[in-house]
Amino acid sequence: MARLRLKNPRRFDNTAYLYLLPAFLLLAVFTIYPLVNTILTSAKLDYRFLTGAYVRVSLRHYADIMADATFLRAVFNTAFIAFVCVPLSMLSALVTALLLNSIKKLRGFFTTLYYLPQVTNVIAAGMVFAFLFNSNFGLVNTMLGWIGIDPVAWISGVNIAKSAALYNQAYLRCLFVLLVYSLWSGLSMKVVLFLGGLQNINPQYYQVAQIDGTSRWRVLRKITLPLLSPTTIYVFITSVITAFKAYSAVVALFGNTYGPIGDNSKMMITIVGYIIDALGDYLSAGAISIASAAAVILLLIIMGLTALQLKLSQKWVHYK
Amino acid sequence: MSIRILKIINYLLLILIVISVLVPFFWMLSTALKSENEALMSPPQLLPATPHFENFVLALTVAPFLRYFLNTLIVSVSVVLLSTIVTVLASFAFARLEFRGKNALFFIVLASMMIPQEMLIITNFMTVAKLGWMNSYQALILPYCVNAFNIFLLRQTILQIPEDLYTAARIDGLGNFRYLRKVVLPIAKPTILTTMLLSLIWIWNTYAWPNLITTNDDLRMISNGLKYAFTQTSGFVRYELQMAAATLVTVPLIIIFVCLRKYIFAGMSKAGLKG
Repeated sequence: MARLRLKNPRRFDNTAYLYLLPAFLLLAVFTIYPLVNTILTSAKLDYRFLTGAYVRVSLRHYADIMADATFLRAVFNTAFIAFVCVPLSMLSALVTALLLNSIKKLRGFFTTLYYLPQVTNVIAAGMVFAFLFNSNFGLVNTMLGWIGIDPVAWISGVNIAKSAALYNQAYLRCLFVLLVYSLWSGLSMKVVLFLGGLQNINPQYYQVAQIDGTSRWRVLRKITLPLLSPTTIYVFITSVITAFKAYSAVVALFGNTYGPIGDNSKMMITIVGYIIDALGDYLSAGAISIASAAAVILLLIIMGLTALQLKLSQKWVHYK
Repeated sequence: MSIRILKIINYLLLILIVISVLVPFFWMLSTALKSENEALMSPPQLLPATPHFENFVLALTVAPFLRYFLNTLIVSVSVVLLSTIVTVLASFAFARLEFRGKNALFFIVLASMMIPQEMLIITNFMTVAKLGWMNSYQALILPYCVNAFNIFLLRQTILQIPEDLYTAARIDGLGNFRYLRKVVLPIAKPTILTTMLLSLIWIWNTYAWPNLITTNDDLRMISNGLKYAFTQTSGFVRYELQMAAATLVTVPLIIIFVCLRKYIFAGMSKAGLKG
């Protein structure tokens, strides 16, 4: 200890702990303890909330979840948001940012408008989208009518129990609504981040390309996109992580049953929805264990993605 | 010239994107101003014949929305104030003070950013239930009062303040806390404002946690109130009132954003740097 103190040019300042006390007190109670406790609870067979009793330590709840059709549906839907909605929304945001980057006038004005979805209440936005896609009174069907397309029952569970084909069609329509919502709500952040990335690119590259008479397309492919790749990776991974936490938007769009009226399979449920549903049943034995096990699976996915991001951003660091 | 045409196409595309971003807002507002009959017309009309502003007043009677607004205000002001104090103190310690275990503690803060809130909800729910905090303000406020990302962001800002300033202040006999108040706070004000705004947006949108721990109408926040006000009446929905309520919930944050957007964008570009 004494040696350490000598080595350090400045004396250790014990008041630092006072400064950190509020933050760490809160972290301990609301983050660290819950983390540990959730992992432990996930391994307690039939844990009971009221008494804290459980049968024995077991990983059976993990096995149960993996065999639960609703959980697999949740994983599939979440993966749809993460790996279909996110890339498409990134593409549209990238195009928007490229367009914004090539103008000077009104850039701030456009960026502000594009950012509006981000500050719109999620529940309000979900409700508006549900109403936009309303079969009878929605704007989407009206607009389709303008180009001669018959009204579509976007969010509808009518007759879905009759055959798998009808169910799947209803499901696809709901996925489409979710995709459109994701494109709209995901644009804001991604445009701002991409625009930031584009503006960080050294203009000398473009000057050289201009002198050489390189075509716009080639400049985009050979200069802009490679130099933008650190931003692209950052946007992709953070968006995928956000996608894995999707919940409120789905509830706002499809209701507390995660599906159109008439569906009882929780058609549009997500992983977080699965956790919250299990938690809602907290008085029955094992419900909290199931919620915890699903949460641990979610944590592992997110940790894996974060590790991937760290690895990839190190790989690309020489571009910066 | 073709450059000119490209420029025009460029702007036209940007306007097209603006229109698609604004369509939901248009539909929300247009429906909010319709009469009950107009809202239930099929196919619907784009605009109401005459705007029915009384819908906004009516929407407030569907559910105690004023109460929800008040609750959201109480929670967000408390969270913003408390979490700012927590963030400023912690980020100052990490940026300027030397102490044993600094790296380990900072690692814990960074690592906690990775843990999804959605995971913590389970145990926090049990904690709150056992403490008898169901349907209480402290349960709505306290879990949001520490924000690792804000600590990280503000630490970066404080690190950029020249260390000489700190050394000089210490030589002049200025204590840590006075240095923090007199030097750090004024310089870091824009970043602090950014963290406050990010917290505010976060609280305004929060849904899952309040939904779990409030069953009492007197303690609901707007997101939950909005959701419940229009789902409990089965089958028949007054869409114009639903959209009017959605408008009321959306507008305050948009006004705050438009006024203070430069702080949000500044924070965003700082956050982007770590990518």
